[in-house]
Amino acid sequence: MAIIDRKYLFDKGWKSAAPIALLLPGFLLYLLIAVGPSLATAVYSFTDATGIRGIPVSWIGFENYDEFLFIGAASRDNIAALVRTIYFCFFVTTIQFGFGLLLAVLLNRKLKGTKFFRTLFFLPVILGVAIQGLMWKLFLLPRGGPVAEFASLFGWTSEFLGGQPRQAFAWVIVVQIWANAGITMVIFLAGMQTIPERLYESARIDGAGGWQLFRHVTWPLLTPAVNTNLLLNIIGSLQAWQLFLVLIGYRPGTQVLGYLVFAEGFGQVSGEVTTAFRQGYAAAASIGLFILVLVIALVTNVFVSRREEKFLG
Amino acid sequence: MTHTSIGRMLALLFAVCLVAAACGEDEPEATPTTVASATTAPETPAPETTAAAPETTAAEPAPAEDVTLRVLVHQNPPMVEFMESFNQSFEAAHPNVTVDMSVVGAGDLSIAIQTRLTAGDIDVIDIFGFANAAQPYMSGVNPPNWQTLIEAGLLMDLTGQPFVDLYDEATITDAGSFGGKVYSINLGRVSYSGMFVNLDLFDATGVAVPTTWGELVAACDTFKAAGNECMTVGGGDGWPIFVGAYGLLGAMYPDQEALVEGLWTGDITWDDEHSVEMLNRMQIYANEMLETGVSGLSHDAAPARFAAGDVAMMPTGVWQAPALDEVDFDWTYIPFPGSDNPEDNQYLFGKYDQGWAIAADTPHPDVSLEYLAAFSEPGNYQAFVNAVGFIPTQPTAELATKLGAEVAPYLVNYRVGFEQYWVAPTGAGQWANASQAAAWFDPFNEWTDPAGLGAQAQADLQAGLDAG
Amino acid sequence: MTTARQASTQAKDRPRRRGFRRPRIGSYSILGLCSILYIGPLLMLLLTAFKTLPEFFRDPTGMPESFGFENFVEAWSLAKFPSYLMNSVIYTVVATTICVLTSVLVAFPIARGYFKGSKQMLTLYVIALFLPPALIPQFQLILNLGLFNSRAGYILLFLVNPIGIIILVNQIKAVPRELDESAAMDGCGYYRFVLKIIVPLIRPAIATVTVLHAIGIWNELVLSIIYLTNDDLFPITRGLIVFESVYGSNWPPLAAAVLILMTPMLLLFLFLQRYIVSGLTAGAVKG
Repeated sequence: MAIIDRKYLFDKGWKSAAPIALLLPGFLLYLLIAVGPSLATAVYSFTDATGIRGIPVSWIGFENYDEFLFIGAASRDNIAALVRTIYFCFFVTTIQFGFGLLLAVLLNRKLKGTKFFRTLFFLPVILGVAIQGLMWKLFLLPRGGPVAEFASLFGWTSEFLGGQPRQAFAWVIVVQIWANAGITMVIFLAGMQTIPERLYESARIDGAGGWQLFRHVTWPLLTPAVNTNLLLNIIGSLQAWQLFLVLIGYRPGTQVLGYLVFAEGFGQVSGEVTTAFRQGYAAAASIGLFILVLVIALVTNVFVSRREEKFLG
Repeated sequence: MTHTSIGRMLALLFAVCLVAAACGEDEPEATPTTVASATTAPETPAPETTAAAPETTAAEPAPAEDVTLRVLVHQNPPMVEFMESFNQSFEAAHPNVTVDMSVVGAGDLSIAIQTRLTAGDIDVIDIFGFANAAQPYMSGVNPPNWQTLIEAGLLMDLTGQPFVDLYDEATITDAGSFGGKVYSINLGRVSYSGMFVNLDLFDATGVAVPTTWGELVAACDTFKAAGNECMTVGGGDGWPIFVGAYGLLGAMYPDQEALVEGLWTGDITWDDEHSVEMLNRMQIYANEMLETGVSGLSHDAAPARFAAGDVAMMPTGVWQAPALDEVDFDWTYIPFPGSDNPEDNQYLFGKYDQGWAIAADTPHPDVSLEYLAAFSEPGNYQAFVNAVGFIPTQPTAELATKLGAEVAPYLVNYRVGFEQYWVAPTGAGQWANASQAAAWFDPFNEWTDPAGLGAQAQADLQAGLDAG
Repeated sequence: MTTARQASTQAKDRPRRRGFRRPRIGSYSILGLCSILYIGPLLMLLLTAFKTLPEFFRDPTGMPESFGFENFVEAWSLAKFPSYLMNSVIYTVVATTICVLTSVLVAFPIARGYFKGSKQMLTLYVIALFLPPALIPQFQLILNLGLFNSRAGYILLFLVNPIGIIILVNQIKAVPRELDESAAMDGCGYYRFVLKIIVPLIRPAIATVTVLHAIGIWNELVLSIIYLTNDDLFPITRGLIVFESVYGSNWPPLAAAVLILMTPMLLLFLFLQRYIVSGLTAGAVKG
């Protein structure tokens, strides 16, 4: 087997194909389910495919991209969705990062009940979008719900998720953070537990206080956890849109790119029962999303590796 | 962390997996996903074939093999209830047939129809009346999905089937035909442009049922001053907010087909004086007439809210009448008085609702046709109309319910509504269809200025017209 | 095997956690404030599940007049919850098991560089993290395979986890290569070596991947909307949404349904929480 590297020491002869043979199922599945369809998305984006059997598919060049980015006022709405996606990513990433870190710092201390709090804050992660969405729809019930009652103490009324788009959007950010801060917290906690106690002790001997300990010991040594969290949050929030589906549906002024892809591809745009599937157009939109994710992830990666060099050498 | 406990956990996982894999093996046979597997015997043994034989010969030469008929309907509680009992009687009359009915939310119906037809995974489908066809004055629009389905050859041609003749001709032509062939039989018209009125509350408050916009505004003020609510809708699903104002749209533009054409040709604009006045009223409806918090009330729960008795009016479709069977006050259903001119407030607008169609490549065309024929029998159809409160499309049937009596005076003025004609030009912006503007005003969206919204809507529409 | 034991004792020596000594009242009050956001929705759900609809309309936030289980009975009888739960368990367990097993077999030779092009293959997996969710071609693929609306088709969608490969590769790299050499000397076969020696050594990473992947499948909503049309095949997420649009739409039985469906997940989580946290701890920080 010429493909097998010389370092391979196990069985010789035909049996040396074992690594390849055993790797193939996983790799082929990967090509079939992930890589293939993703490449096909690019191909689809140049067609007028509907996704309905029996309708011929024809090449239309860049028409989908042209329509998505340049035609009429619809392109303005598409660009707005793109910008909204970036906002969503920014707010979710930063706030969830900070909130998760705060929780981790508090729960890394020797307090009674840390186990309870840790469980509580991690709980939403396991519930999933459908249940998270329903819980918050009920919690944000505009007529007599708990948050509405509390807000009315200050003379503030709102339709919350069914109301002003900006506000509804903000609530989705809140729920997204609520739902995922548990993972961020646990990853930070994990990072903190790998920091040797003697580093804190020697810093204390040098007269460092709480903040200085955090600034000069915890923070730099937390770098791997920081990087993991940043990337997970960014990719997660850019591709997250299911909460929008569950919490507000497709309304003017709230949709993000991921939702747009689904809605265009499966005829959910206008709320009318006769809307057609536009899968070629939706494919073009998802290529747009891909480029966005790639750019943001690459920029973050540059930032992250610089930081790693600075702190970890 | 100990190694042994994780090992135990993984072992458990594997064990459950093995069990599950074993359970999963026989699944493809039990679930008919392809033509081939659908004809194989289902999991239960054939129910007494001897008893089946005489029955089938008596009725019509049905296939002797066991058949699972896959039927798709959209959620509408009284209709689903009726269908369950209808399916039972159909199965009783055809012992070799099992009806496998799936119910999806109205919003998911088109996704379910298109995926299941494409996958060849359905026999009989519920499809809304054919609407939104491209008109001669429209250019560069995407065809509606039903047209695509027909052009793709996925719907069976029903032309010449005897049961088609049971429905009135207008229904078959307007809501079920394309290119001169019949593809769907529509089961009923509904109106969505009126509102349910709590007559007892009107009496108690000393208010007369309004016939003009001015009277409606005054009535709302009186109700609110008396500590009651003026209107509620099931806004949790989004669309009931603007559908509640379709009557307002209709009163301001009684010829809705002409409105669509006018918008396309430029004879009518969203920012002309008349339209801005309509938008102004939509804002008053959204902001002042509706009680606060309706966006948290789901469509199906709205009748229960209305039944509480302290809400004077509920603008919604007639299909919600069955949910008001047990309220302890007297009610009626009137057109939304959106115009200052009482003459214009006499129309009911609506659409063709549910219809039946058959998948072209169904493995059981005979059973599917028999299913539609049985459903269309005048007795069954009348029972269906009684259950769901549709305005019948079979000339021999009548809507003999309280609702039927209440809407009878307006039925001579029944018209098909705007949303059945409207097609947005490609490239139009998200505000181009201002018939939905009621849901765009504060508190449901960002707009507070009717003239501003009118200008924006017209600009969004114009952008599409120019692009096409 | 000596090296293996060394690796495990090292893990046990991990420094114990200790932090700063700040006033506890401050910490508790921040934690308490945050808990409101977490307990509030849960409490509201619980109260609603015990109310009647008129009671709920009158006062959504008040205490229920009585604690009967009518709503739970109603929710249970209206929907096929046992079947939804069983489906979710089948999808999650089968897909996770296959995914983790194949991932280990992919990750090991990549981490060791046992074949030419292994670096490029790893890059391919990293790129996958950024790929757009290929909803549409995937849909066409499943249709053409004839797996639409089937258990097999739905499971097929969850057999790949690029993040999992990356976590596993990182963890395997930390296992000393000498182990391979001595095992090969002893004549140990490749498959047996990976399964019997490597897998136990990278348990934390495997636990992480298992948990992350299982959570993802259990919670998936959109794919179940696209690929499953038959009520008998729905996982609980879809069942719940259907219940919302089809039967419930009024909160009390819906809240009861949510509680019913939460309970098994909750119990499982409380039971496994130790592994979840430690699994994430071990895997994620290196990854």
